[in-house]
Amino acid sequence: MNKKHIFLLILFLISTLSFSQNKYITKTGNVDFEASVSSFEEVKAINNSTTAIVNVDNGDFAALILVKGFRFKNALMEEHFNENYAESDTYPKATFKGKIKDLNVSTLNTTSIFKADGTLTFHGKSKSLNDIAFKINNVDGLITITGTFDIKVSDFDIDIPKIVSDKVAETVNVSFDFTLNKK
Amino acid sequence: MHTKTIKRLLFILVVIIIGITIGYNYLYQDHRNIEVEKPDFKVSAKAITDSFINQPEISETKYLNKTIEISGIVTEFNKNDVTVDNTVFCQFNTDINYALNEKIKIKGRLIGYDDLLEIIKLDQCISITD
Repeated sequence: MNKKHIFLLILFLISTLSFSQNKYITKTGNVDFEASVSSFEEVKAINNSTTAIVNVDNGDFAALILVKGFRFKNALMEEHFNENYAESDTYPKATFKGKIKDLNVSTLNTTSIFKADGTLTFHGKSKSLNDIAFKINNVDGLITITGTFDIKVSDFDIDIPKIVSDKVAETVNVSFDFTLNKK
Repeated sequence: MHTKTIKRLLFILVVIIIGITIGYNYLYQDHRNIEVEKPDFKVSAKAITDSFINQPEISETKYLNKTIEISGIVTEFNKNDVTVDNTVFCQFNTDINYALNEKIKIKGRLIGYDDLLEIIKLDQCISITD
């Protein structure tokens, strides 16, 4: 074995190591949002096709939401959401990329709160979010992550037309619920 | 004269009722029913995956929100979802029963390309039997 071979072998070992990170994944995560105003029809949608990945070694977290996957009770509301607000033909994806701080799942035996920082991208606009509370647990090898945060529609360059402005809230409450399996 | 007024009022009432009915049906129209929709495209899982890898934007415009019939081999399955040829992830509203490596056809709505996992996602899927 010459030097070149040894170098390649080391390179191979390094790449195998970096692939064997502790990643947990879901393809069917739940994300829902609500922008209801009391006494008007509820403005709420649920997406149960969200992909989420967490690297439990360093806390890296990423989620990808296919915007077309948001389902409303009211079909017309769903159509308007896709065409006029989210413009999901042009912006079919929403993402969150960030880091869960001081994540350590190996010692978890009860739901604990961790803080996460990251960037939420929706409707082609990005907004950084800080110190979002992630409630995390580790039960029988499944990692559960739940939480909730508020966003302003104006941060994502979405205009609510005057005619419906009293029926749709300016602040949207987003909640998420992921059950991740080890990859 | 009197009957004429009644007739006119009746006419207005009928117009109002029709208007309300149309308005209500517009506001509370039914969701798309993918189950009864004819597929816009019939493709193999491999062909549509190649299309999304090679021409992501063109493919998005072409397939997004469309009813698609996918054919391929089951590479993974869970209670409500099945993965075809490793790259097409299909979610069902009901419980499913497939076997690994089974050759299948599925109809569903394409909701997008997930570039984190490099998979295509379909929802509201149903199984197609020839």
